[in-house]
Parts: sequence; C-alpha cells; structure tokens
Amino acid sequence: MRRGSLVQLILVAIAAAAAGTAIALLPNWLPQPASREAGRIHFVFWFLTGICIFIFSIVASVTAYAVVKFRRKPDDDSDGPPIHGHTGLEITWTAIPAILVTAITIVSAIVLAKDDAAGANPLRVNVVAQQFAWSFYYPAYGNKRSGILRLPVHRSVLLRMTSKDVVHSFWVPEFSQKQDVVPGLHPTLHITPTRVGTYPVICTELCGLGHALMRSQTIVMTETAFDKWAHGAQTAAAVGGGGSSIFNQQGCTACHRLAAAGATGTIGPDLDKLAAEAQRAGKPLASFVRESIVAPNGYVEKGYPKGIMPQDFGTKLSKTQLDALVRFLVSSAKKGTK
Amino acid sequence: MTATVASHETHVEHGPRRPPAGWRRLLFPGFLRTAWMVPLFFGIGCGIVVLCRWWGGWHPIWFGEIIVLVAALIAAPVGFLAGIGAFDYWARYAIGAPTVPEDHSGHGAYSWRDYFRVNTDHKVIGMQYLATTIFFFLAAGMLAMLVRAELAKPGMQFFNNQTYNGLFSVHASLMIFLFVIPAFAGLANFVVPLMLGAPDMAFPRLNALSYWLLPIAGTMMLCSFLVPGGAFAAGWTGYAPLSVHQPMGTIFFNMGVQWAGASSIMTALNFLVTIITMRAPGMTFWRMPLLVWANFTTSLLVVIATPFIAGSQFFVMFDRVMHTSFFETAGGGYPLGYQHIFWFYSHPAVYIMMLPGFGIASEVISVMSRKPIFGYRLMALSLLAILVLGFSVWAHHMFVSGMAPWLRVPMMVTTLLIAVPTGIKVFSWLATLWEVGFVSMFVIGGLSGIYLGAVPIDIHVSDTYFIVAHIHYVLFGGSLFTIFAGIYYWFPKMTGRMYNERLGKLHFWLTFIGFNATFFPMHLIGVQGMPRRVSDYDPVFANWNLFISVASFFLGASTIVFLYNMVTSMRFGPIAEANPWRGLTLEWQVSSPPPVFNFDEIPQVVGNPYEYGVPGAKHAVLGGGAREQVPVD
Repeated sequence: MRRGSLVQLILVAIAAAAAGTAIALLPNWLPQPASREAGRIHFVFWFLTGICIFIFSIVASVTAYAVVKFRRKPDDDSDGPPIHGHTGLEITWTAIPAILVTAITIVSAIVLAKDDAAGANPLRVNVVAQQFAWSFYYPAYGNKRSGILRLPVHRSVLLRMTSKDVVHSFWVPEFSQKQDVVPGLHPTLHITPTRVGTYPVICTELCGLGHALMRSQTIVMTETAFDKWAHGAQTAAAVGGGGSSIFNQQGCTACHRLAAAGATGTIGPDLDKLAAEAQRAGKPLASFVRESIVAPNGYVEKGYPKGIMPQDFGTKLSKTQLDALVRFLVSSAKKGTK
Repeated sequence: MTATVASHETHVEHGPRRPPAGWRRLLFPGFLRTAWMVPLFFGIGCGIVVLCRWWGGWHPIWFGEIIVLVAALIAAPVGFLAGIGAFDYWARYAIGAPTVPEDHSGHGAYSWRDYFRVNTDHKVIGMQYLATTIFFFLAAGMLAMLVRAELAKPGMQFFNNQTYNGLFSVHASLMIFLFVIPAFAGLANFVVPLMLGAPDMAFPRLNALSYWLLPIAGTMMLCSFLVPGGAFAAGWTGYAPLSVHQPMGTIFFNMGVQWAGASSIMTALNFLVTIITMRAPGMTFWRMPLLVWANFTTSLLVVIATPFIAGSQFFVMFDRVMHTSFFETAGGGYPLGYQHIFWFYSHPAVYIMMLPGFGIASEVISVMSRKPIFGYRLMALSLLAILVLGFSVWAHHMFVSGMAPWLRVPMMVTTLLIAVPTGIKVFSWLATLWEVGFVSMFVIGGLSGIYLGAVPIDIHVSDTYFIVAHIHYVLFGGSLFTIFAGIYYWFPKMTGRMYNERLGKLHFWLTFIGFNATFFPMHLIGVQGMPRRVSDYDPVFANWNLFISVASFFLGASTIVFLYNMVTSMRFGPIAEANPWRGLTLEWQVSSPPPVFNFDEIPQVVGNPYEYGVPGAKHAVLGGGAREQVPVD
C-alpha cells in the first residue's frame, strides 16, 4: 500500500473515532450512579464503549475509504486484482478480537464477583412482587412491611425476592442492578447505596396489563433517619386486621389513594372519593365497591383506562376476605364524606 | 462425487393439469376444494372434541376454547392443506392408487394462476415465499406504526394496555416467524438449487407443503386480534407463567408457532438433502458459493433447534388446556424451565436469521466489487464456528433471570467468543472491498446497506442493556437489509426484468436514515431507564419518543418506494440479460428467468465460485456435452 493512502486512511479513522467519541460523551448516557455496584458496571460500560469506538473507526474508515477511493468509473468493466487471502492478516484479525473479548470477559467476571459479594452482615429485605405492585419486608425489624423500598446509605443490602404470580423484574436504573423475580424461586440481589435520594423501582419483565404502571420508589436515607423509620410503629393500616390489612397485602396501595390505609397511588381512581364515584356509576355504595373489585371493567371511572385493574380478585380473595375488604372500603368512604 | 439428477434428463415440459368441468371441479385440488374441505375438517374437529368430552363426562361438552384449539387451529388448517392439494400425491400413494414418480404436472408456472396452486417448482415456491413474507412484513410493519403512534406521547392515547401488549407481541412474532426466517428460506429456495446446478430441490412436494404452512401460521397470528380478550399479549417470548394465564389469543400464538416451525424444519431438511446429494459434478464442498454454505449451516441450526420452541409452546398450551404443571409453581412446575427451552431455540434463531444474510452479503460484495472473497475457507469455517457456539450461549438472555449463578460466567465467555467468528466475517468483507481498484462497486445503492448493517452487529454483539435497539439493529440492520439486498440482486434472475436503480438508491438512503434515526436513540433512552414493552413511560423521555415515532413513520413510508419499484419493474422494467452482474456462480449461467428445469444440460463445475480477476478462470462449464469425470481438488 502506498504511504499516501495509509495516511488518508488513518485520518478517516481518526475522524470516525472522534465522531464516535462525541456521540459517547455528549448526551448523558447513564443515569447518575447511586450504588457502589453501579459505579463498577459503569466502568465496564465505558471500557466496552472504548473498544467499540476503536472497532467502529476501523470498520467505518475502511468502508468509507474503499467506497470513495475505488469507486467504479462509468466506463470501467474490468475486474479487481484476484487476492484470495493473506494468512498474516487473517490471523491478526482473529487474534485481536480474541484478545479484546478475553479482556472484556476478565473485567466483567471480576465486576460480577465483586457486585455479588454482600459481605458478612448485610441488611436483609424480602421483596414480594405481584401483579402490579411491590412489597418490601424487613425481617430485622419485626418483618415491617412497606410499599416503598427504604434503604440506609452506605450499608450493604441483600434483597431476597419472590413473586406471587408471574415473572417480574426488579430494576432501579440508578443502582444499575436488575433481577428477575420468579414465582417459586428466591433469587437475591446485592446493592450498596451510596447517595441519599429517591429513585424509581421499575418492573422490566412484561407481567400483564399493568406492566407499564408497575412502579414504586426506593428512598435512600441517612443511617439515623432509616433507624428512626425502621423502629417507628408500623402504620395502622399495615398491621390492622380485617379489610385494611387485606387492602395492603393485595397491593391495592400501589395504585389507589386511600387516606385510611396511608395509600397514595395515582394509577387508579382515588378511593377517598368512592361515594361520589358510586353516585356517578348510579349504584349503591356497597354493591358498587364489590362489583368494582370482582369485575372492575363493569364501570370505569372517567379518565382511567379500562383493563388496568387485575380482574382476578374475585377468585383470589375468599368470600370472608372480600366481605372484610368491602366493609373496610365502605366505612372509610363514609368517614370521608362526613 | 456425481450428482443424482439422471432421472430428470428425459422429462417433457407440459403445463399443469386442466381442471375438469362441472361438479367434478369441486374435487380438483384448489381453492374451490378448500372451500368445502375447511368446514368439513372444522366439523370433524368439533365432533372429536364433543365426543371426547361427552365420553369423559366433562362439562360443558361444548367448550369454546378447546373447540377453537382443536377444530379451528388444528383440524381446519389440515383441511386447507388437503383442499389445496398438498397431500394428493402422498394420499394416492398411501391408498395404493396409481402414481407417477416423474409426474411434473405440478411443476412450473405458465400463467399467474400457477402461483396460486400447489406447485413443486422451487422457483415458483421461492416467489410464493417472497410474496407471502412481504405481505406479512407490511402487516407487521403497520402494527409497529401503531405501537409508535401510542408511544409518541406519554400517557394512553389510542389503545388500552391489553391491545397495546397484543400489538407489539404480534408485530414481533410476524416479523420473526413470518418474515425474516421464511423470507431467507424463499430467497434460498429460488437460488440454492440453481447455484448447485440441480434441477430442483431434493423433495419438491415437501417443499410445496412447507410453503403452504406459512399462510396458515400468519393468518392465525393476525386473527388472534379477533378473539375475545384480544391478541396474545405476552410478547413474542411468551414467558410462562404469564402466557399460561393470558386470554384465548395465546393459543393462536402457541399453534401459529407450530405451523411456522414445521414449515422451517421441513425446508431445512430439504436444503440439507439437496446440498449434500444434488451438487453438480465437480461441485465439492470447498467450491460451493458462500450462500450455499450459509444455508447449509442455517438448516443444521433449524433442524436441531426448532423442535425446542415447538416443545416450549406445546408445554404452555398443555399447562393451559390440560392443566399440566410444566411451568406452574403451584403444581411443582419450574417457571425458568420455559426460558431455558425457549432460548435454547431462540438464540440459535438469531443466527437462523443472520447466517443467510451473511451468505447474501458475501455473494453481493464479491460480485459487485469484482474480487474473490477474501479468505473463503475461513469464511465458511466461521459459519460453522457460529453454528457450534450458537448452541452454547442461550443463557445470556437469562443473566438476570434467577437461574443458577454459576452459569453466568461460562455463558459470557461463549457469548463473547462468538464475536470472533463474526468479526472474521466482517473483516473479510472489508478486505474483499479493499484494494479493489477501479471496481464496479455499488452499482446498486440498495446493496451497500448490508455492509453498514453489518457494522453495528459487530459493535452491539456483546451488548445486553438496550435490548430493543439491539434486536432491531441485528434483525433490521442485519437481516432486513440483506433480504432487500438479496431481492435486488436476484430480481433480474427471478423476473427477467431490471428494476429502477435510482429508486433502489432512494429506497436505500431513506431506509438507512430512517432506520438509524428510529433505533439509535433507543439505546440512549434504554440506558437512561426506559424499560421495554410499556405502553406508557416517564415524561422525561417524551421528546426522544416523539422523535423516534416520527422517524419510524418516515421509515415505514420508505417501504412504499420499494413496493412501487418492485411492482412497476416487474411489469415494465427493461428486459434483463442472463447475467447482468457478470457473476460466476451457476444461477447466472442460465437465462433470466431460468428454464422450468433450470439446466438443459448438467453443468460441470471446474473451479471456485469467486475467481474474479483471475484470467481464464471458470466456475462451471455448461453445454458442449462435457460428460467426462471432472477431477476433484
């Protein structure tokens, strides 16, 4: 190859690499990390991106160069020189990718092992997923239950997860950690939060109608704030018997607002306004509540999409449970109107 | 190494059998016969269900879902196949009626009607495949437009969640099972026997049957929108146990996959036997064009892997209709079992959708750059390497699934290793383009897409974060671009006419720009925290989503250019010569379109397929009655 064309090729490659680097650096690709694991995963991401830019610049520059330089002239019908192969070159471009992927493998394996090491005494949290809600239990604090994942900063946390129905997946983008939640299994996920703040908990495995809305939050707090919260009394709604505890266990809090249960969901209709809604539906309050649980598509409050509310509560709940839940909702609605 | 084509030497060309007049026409294979055979078989299916339930004492005796499953999704399609005539020859043979082994009455196309009947000519079947798959490609593309319309703004606009989930599920299933896989099978159907110097596929009647299974599978998936509860909505991956508890549409997916899968398996067996036994004299394995190599490895993948997805879908259906517990924890089942079985097929399926594209890329790049393929043997061997490694990487789809943790690192190693043979292929294409000097390159704009499509594959191959972008770069950039390239490249051979090159270039640039504008930003929002398969999303992603939606409509519109070009060129394009690209492989050595039995004389293969620029080099000798034994290298 002539020296001039090599220089040209290298210039094209540098331009391609610069373009790749600009695309890699200009937009905010990764969310600001909020866990030690995220920091390591981001390192792998940038390590890989560097390799990709390297490969991309070679491929793009050779393509561009060949297309421009060796373009056929309109009256030219001749064949190119018959080059069948070059052993040295072929070994090189087998070896270089092999070395690169070996490097990627080693880096990834180390990061994976470090991320999984939860240490001697992690804070254990049991995660229960169901269509379409998350519940978090703290065995170290009397199995305290919460709809929001509250975590102390800088403490190793081991989440032990299971699902009541189908496969869900737990993801906090800022933690960069993800784990499918499978019925019948109890996979674990290790997180060490490093930044106080509030981040979304997102279900990333298609789990049915309400999948897009299966969201919760994780609040990373200072050690003292967490201790105070953890030792605080369980909210009445979560421990109380009868209807209110069913309301909590079934995950209703994820979607509905109800002051009596301390629920602040906004996906479904506001249950503090049940009386007005029953009026709009033209039904007596108690039977309206019952029908809306068993057959939620019968009447759908204006402004809310049909088919989001799970339709299997009628079979999931026993008759006594259903009665208790209806009593609880009716009584809280009546209180609300007074 | 002699080919077994001697029996075809004395055939006589004659048209298809004429249908009889009067009521006997109802018995003649064709759509008229399907019109009564489909209801008949449907009735038989209903009868079987009702009898079994009555005999077993199950109530209700008339149970909608089982009737749909047995009568509509199993019996009626069999009735359709029987009516169209796919089983006629075998049925006659089975009952001892006289049959003619060399009966060519179903062979070849003499009028447009011959494309609408059971035809045993591999060229006609190839065209049937392509027309059908393009139809489902358009249907699935429309579904994607609807998905993007819903996502253009945060919040719910047009559909409820179940419909939305159905839209993307059917979109993906049609694109994968009814477009990419069979479109490659269609192209190969047309080209591979020609490239081998064979008069047809090894099993022409089986070939016809495998085509006619496709419209059944596609119709089934589309029709699932019409049943109560809507289309199947658990994604094309159909993860259990969610899919077990979905409305009735799910069984349309379960069964649609069976019909499409059966079609793939039969075609793959046919390719294997054809490639192994019907190569022209002198065509050693190391003289086969790379497209033939690609289809050989693809067919091995299909034959080994496809039964696994068939099994996984049967298990889901059994869990559903027979209350077995393959994947139901309550009955002792194992939900992750589904994912293992599913991905044991579906990862090789990625290569089923890629390797034929690699083959097309090799053909087109070599011929268009007028150069031998760089490192031909390494190219073929890397196909085999991908084949072997492809079976050892499935669990990389399950890194976060909760499977045994020790599986992760080995699967990562194999997954990354597979980048090596893929890289070899990309670099070899580069080297083929290189140093070509004054080459006749890029005579067609549409062709360069393959190349640019291949680059992101290499870059994204080890990526596991932004799945939607990744899968579209692989399947759109890798598969669809090469399908387009293949259609453009063999269009003159198939139709005997040239297409409009300017429209071809326009189509390429529109598609290329639309594709990157649509899918590149998906990487970004994926990394930033937008999960896949959601009908609604965090408003912070609103701007990018609007941009992506607009770009996707632009991309969809670019297909109109392609369709217009194809339809008008097929009718009014200038007549193509036999070998417009001056290719050396055998399909270019016969007329365009080829004669009904491909070769008037058995070609003798005397050299390698890509000897461009080698003075006096020949791949094959036709005519001249050369019958002496050709030395094998």
